[in-house]
Amino acid sequence: MIEPLRISFEVACPPDHAFETWTERASAWWPPQHTVSHQPGAEIVFEPRPGGRIFERTPQGEEFEWGEIVRWDPPRGLSYRWHIATDPANATEVEIVFREMPGSTTRIEIEHGGWDRLGEIGQAWRDANRAGWDGVLPPYAEAARS
Amino acid sequence: MKAKRRIADPFDALGNQYRRDIVELLARKPHSVQEIADQLPISRPAVSRHLSVLNRAGLVSDEQVGARRLYRLDEPGAEAARRYLAQVWGNVGVRFKLFAENTRPRKRSRGPRELTALRTAGPRSSRGS
Repeated sequence: MIEPLRISFEVACPPDHAFETWTERASAWWPPQHTVSHQPGAEIVFEPRPGGRIFERTPQGEEFEWGEIVRWDPPRGLSYRWHIATDPANATEVEIVFREMPGSTTRIEIEHGGWDRLGEIGQAWRDANRAGWDGVLPPYAEAARS
Repeated sequence: MKAKRRIADPFDALGNQYRRDIVELLARKPHSVQEIADQLPISRPAVSRHLSVLNRAGLVSDEQVGARRLYRLDEPGAEAARRYLAQVWGNVGVRFKLFAENTRPRKRSRGPRELTALRTAGPRSSRGS
């Protein structure tokens, strides 16, 4: 099995606010360069239930499917099938846990797996992913502050 | 696509949004130029030019399969794509963190720190002043 990508970080807010920010206000913070349309003003919608769609709606009303909700468990977490900019048959799986920490802080653990389905990238992924993801965020936090 | 002159750093090649899009598409499965052009808002010749850059960076190779020429990620390219995807999630994480920590829940204590711009702004919107 190909190891999932894992990333985790802490945010200084309670889990319910973190969950709501992730699912109801993704339009405000999701990097526009990682949408399908790359359009400013695109709306990102998580339909709040298992089987709900995740999609992007441009200001012109065009919609692009990103995935479907599998598990909906506010404020503890959610999981979804993820096929942004690809065929739903090539969906990978994203699981996000919002873990309550002392001091009104939330630890967010993201696991992005299901790579076995994608034969082409699989072996390189398996070999390269041992280092894990925890080192990814700090340099970016630095960049975002500067 | 025959010239194998290498660009120093694959990440220079990934400095372009459409080339990153192409790498994301190829990370899923091999594509023809037409299949790529169908999924991106750029022309076939533009796709070919981007593929040429990606090829010189050692990210992408091509092969003739029947009547079609298919482009796929090279093995080292797959590693570059993996790192790229890690960056995507890192970028997502930072923007989420900045936003979550600087807004208040909607249902209670909607204060002056509540951000009102809830639609995607430009790519530089997360930067400080």
